[in-house]
Amino acid sequence: MPATEPLLTGDFMARLDRLDVISRKILAGKMRGERRSKRRGQSVEFADFRNYTIGDDLRFIDWNIYARLDRLFLKMFLEEEDLSVHILIDTSKSTRFGNPDKLRYMQQVAAALAYVGLVNHNRVSLAAVSNRMIAETGGMRGRRRVGQMLDFISNLEPDAGPTDLGAAMKRFALTAQGRGVCVMLSDFFDKSGIENALRYVAGRRFDFYALHILSPQEIDPDLKGDLRLVDIEDQDTAELTITQPLLDRYKANLNAWCLSVKQYVTRRGGAYLFTSTNVPFDQLVLGYLRQRGLLG
Amino acid sequence: MSFLPTFLSWQSAALAAAIAVPALLLLYFLKLRRKQHDIASTFLWKKSVQDLQVNSPFQRLRRNLLLLLQALVLLAILLAYARPVSFQTIKPGAMNIILIDRSGSMQARDVDDASRLDEARQKAREIIDAMPRDARAAIIAFDASAEVVQSFSTDRAMLRRAVDSITPTDGPTRLQTALQLADAAMAIDPAQLRAGTQAADIYILSDGRVRDADSLSTFGTVRYIPIGNPQTPNLAIVALSARRNYESPTDVQIFARLANFGPDPVRADVVLSISPIDPASPGVDQFVTQQVRQTAQILPARWTEDQRREAEKNGITARDSVEFRVELTTAAVIRIEHKISSGTSANASNITDALPIDDVAHVVVPPPKPLSIALVTEGNYFLERAVSALGAADLKILTPDQYLKDVPTVHDVIFFDRIRPTQLPEAGAFVYFGSLPPGTPITQTTDVQSQLPLFHTDETVLDWKRDHPLLRGLNIGRLFIAESMRLNLPPEAEIIIEGRQGPLAALYRAERRTHLVVGFDLLQSNWPLRETFPYFLFNTLQFLATSSELNLRESFQPGDAPRLPRSAVSRITPAPESITLVGPEGPTRIRIDAPGTAQTGAADIVLPVFRRVGLYRTDPEIPSYERLAVNLLDENESDILPSNTPPGSVGTMIAASGEEQKQRQEWWWWLIAVGALPLLMIEWWIYTRRLHA
Repeated sequence: MPATEPLLTGDFMARLDRLDVISRKILAGKMRGERRSKRRGQSVEFADFRNYTIGDDLRFIDWNIYARLDRLFLKMFLEEEDLSVHILIDTSKSTRFGNPDKLRYMQQVAAALAYVGLVNHNRVSLAAVSNRMIAETGGMRGRRRVGQMLDFISNLEPDAGPTDLGAAMKRFALTAQGRGVCVMLSDFFDKSGIENALRYVAGRRFDFYALHILSPQEIDPDLKGDLRLVDIEDQDTAELTITQPLLDRYKANLNAWCLSVKQYVTRRGGAYLFTSTNVPFDQLVLGYLRQRGLLG
Repeated sequence: MSFLPTFLSWQSAALAAAIAVPALLLLYFLKLRRKQHDIASTFLWKKSVQDLQVNSPFQRLRRNLLLLLQALVLLAILLAYARPVSFQTIKPGAMNIILIDRSGSMQARDVDDASRLDEARQKAREIIDAMPRDARAAIIAFDASAEVVQSFSTDRAMLRRAVDSITPTDGPTRLQTALQLADAAMAIDPAQLRAGTQAADIYILSDGRVRDADSLSTFGTVRYIPIGNPQTPNLAIVALSARRNYESPTDVQIFARLANFGPDPVRADVVLSISPIDPASPGVDQFVTQQVRQTAQILPARWTEDQRREAEKNGITARDSVEFRVELTTAAVIRIEHKISSGTSANASNITDALPIDDVAHVVVPPPKPLSIALVTEGNYFLERAVSALGAADLKILTPDQYLKDVPTVHDVIFFDRIRPTQLPEAGAFVYFGSLPPGTPITQTTDVQSQLPLFHTDETVLDWKRDHPLLRGLNIGRLFIAESMRLNLPPEAEIIIEGRQGPLAALYRAERRTHLVVGFDLLQSNWPLRETFPYFLFNTLQFLATSSELNLRESFQPGDAPRLPRSAVSRITPAPESITLVGPEGPTRIRIDAPGTAQTGAADIVLPVFRRVGLYRTDPEIPSYERLAVNLLDENESDILPSNTPPGSVGTMIAASGEEQKQRQEWWWWLIAVGALPLLMIEWWIYTRRLHA
């Protein structure tokens, strides 16, 4: 991995400044923030009226209505809260595969998303997952934390051992504070079945985005002859002779598998985004993610 | 005649297959050396492979299709390597002459239940069945002679019946007569006389061992179909002789020679059995085994000198003859038969000897009869000395007066020296030196005017019958005669010595007498001084006394038509009107013409042709011809190794290494090799299609 190259360039960060993380759901935040909340609260945006009951704050009584109707109504305003943005990065060994490298690509995308989150005062938390929770940060807010965020991301290394996202996701679901947007970046190569992992996050609690990242070598394998394919995660081997029917069958299987992940996610209200690592990540972030509504 | 090819070297091909086929399988099942390639996850690949296998019903087959093709290519190469040849199917033409060998060797059994003649008959039936419509065929059976069994006919049933009617004989094989018959059959056929008609196809169904291979020719297209298996063993008695010791007549020496015509050396027991000929009980033969000799190893006749030397080096002592010595006081028939005691033959059908007719041989030994001689002379020193030296048991020297006073009848031979007797015994043999027999047409030419007998002077020998028993082995070319009678001989007299000016000696048979006339006085010649004279006398004695050579009676071969000397028959009193010959095929009756009535006159009595080997007897028993032994004793006939070339190299051979078959062989080789090429291309195409298409 060309570590010398910064994950985000200044020029790119400038362009990201104009973006914000958008949640399709109105989720409860922790602190008062820039985001509309489900909760009625103290903001300038009027939401509703309700009958006054004893103990209500007298400051929100609509005196004009009382003057006209001689009845006490309480004015209610929309609360504005901050947004939790959880970014999960799959650091299993399989992400080291491909050209460009999938992990590098994920790091770049994660960094971009996290930057956008931080800049817009969202609570951003990062987590590296593999067969367990590898590393995570607490919630981070504000532009000041960009450096910390970049450090965390760029120091991520692929983990040995087979991918078993289920355990890691369970732990994430249990410990994640607050609700919010959850973006998962992964190749979803999990032999035990990715559904097992996704069920923890693709629920009502999170506005879930599954970012499925595969390398072009996986999408359209350039293989020939009699091969002994070695799984770089668990050293499992598959001996096969590459024939055209096999390649066709592989592609069909890949599509079917991607579709099954997508269906699983979308049925649970999540969003599924598929991308190849040969799509430039700035194009993905600035174009593709905006189109799909994650950034706006 | 199968269309399918047979393989000439299937053993080596099988060996090659034993190596190549496992090698191919090993190569195929050995793990392919695959290029290692890292991927993120194998689970999609595995699933795909699984899917393909599940979805394609013939996946396993497809997987092995390459192996199958490779195996086919290999098989084709191996088949080509096995030298496939197909034998030309018989395609009979419109005119076919089928020559079937029925000689003795065709009785050889290559397998237990069928002789070669059966096989030949089967082949003949195949030819008949394969004939095109309206084709005609003739069947000729041959051994020493030939016989048209069926003249040209389109009736297949009749032809088949004719083929089935052929029975074996024990005779030798001569082909020329059969070919001549075939040519004759073609010539008399009207269709052959038309212009443009082709000569008939002549099929020779034989083992190819013919005696007259050097003199064969025919107009037809000859196709030789060899019959028989070259591996069939046969041990044969090929020579047999028995003779009494002249000094002690009861002592009989018997020699037998065996020949092995099989593929491997064998050892055999030779059994000698004797059946005395008893005049008291005629027609009864009781053989009693007297002696058994084990032979040394008998090496196959087909072996080369190198093989024989090799065998000798390995300690095999090879001898092929046995000798017996027995004491016989009467006339007897000696039977020699061999029994194979050990052989290295690994013949699958357990046939140790395919041809039975040459396993037994008989020889008839005459009684140790002391000869009785009379010499009528007025005194001849040389002749008296010579006759005395013959060793006859009973010799009488008489003067003409003594002779005339009491004409003797007991003597076997009476010599007359310059004396013309006026009386002769009723039967017997007489030798005249310088005189003429009485009562015969033999006269001396006389001068027309003076009526004096005429003589040739200063006579020398022009020619003599070199193969006559009397003169066999003698060179009398330097005989000089000062004065010899001008003999006037009847046509039936047999001239045995011819002088430059006229006959010198003649044999004449009349009624029951045999006369040997030597037309000159011995004292007028230098003959008594030459060493040929005592031999001549000895031969004369043997020939006239026993009508045979030495003490061995004639042994006949199948196909011979023996002659009984009139003198032998005439010894029976009363003279029989017919003789019955009892042999293996049953009795045959022969009429005897009264002497002098027919043109055969006083000549020998010719018996019918012997068709089978074995012991024949005459009824009534004719002295010296009580038993007639017919033996094969023929190396050519016993040699049952089928000939690989057409007899006399006339025509072409079918179904073995001939010209046609060589072409076929190449053709098959080509076919298979050309067949392997598309297989290879299909394999390549499938392989590339799987990889790249």
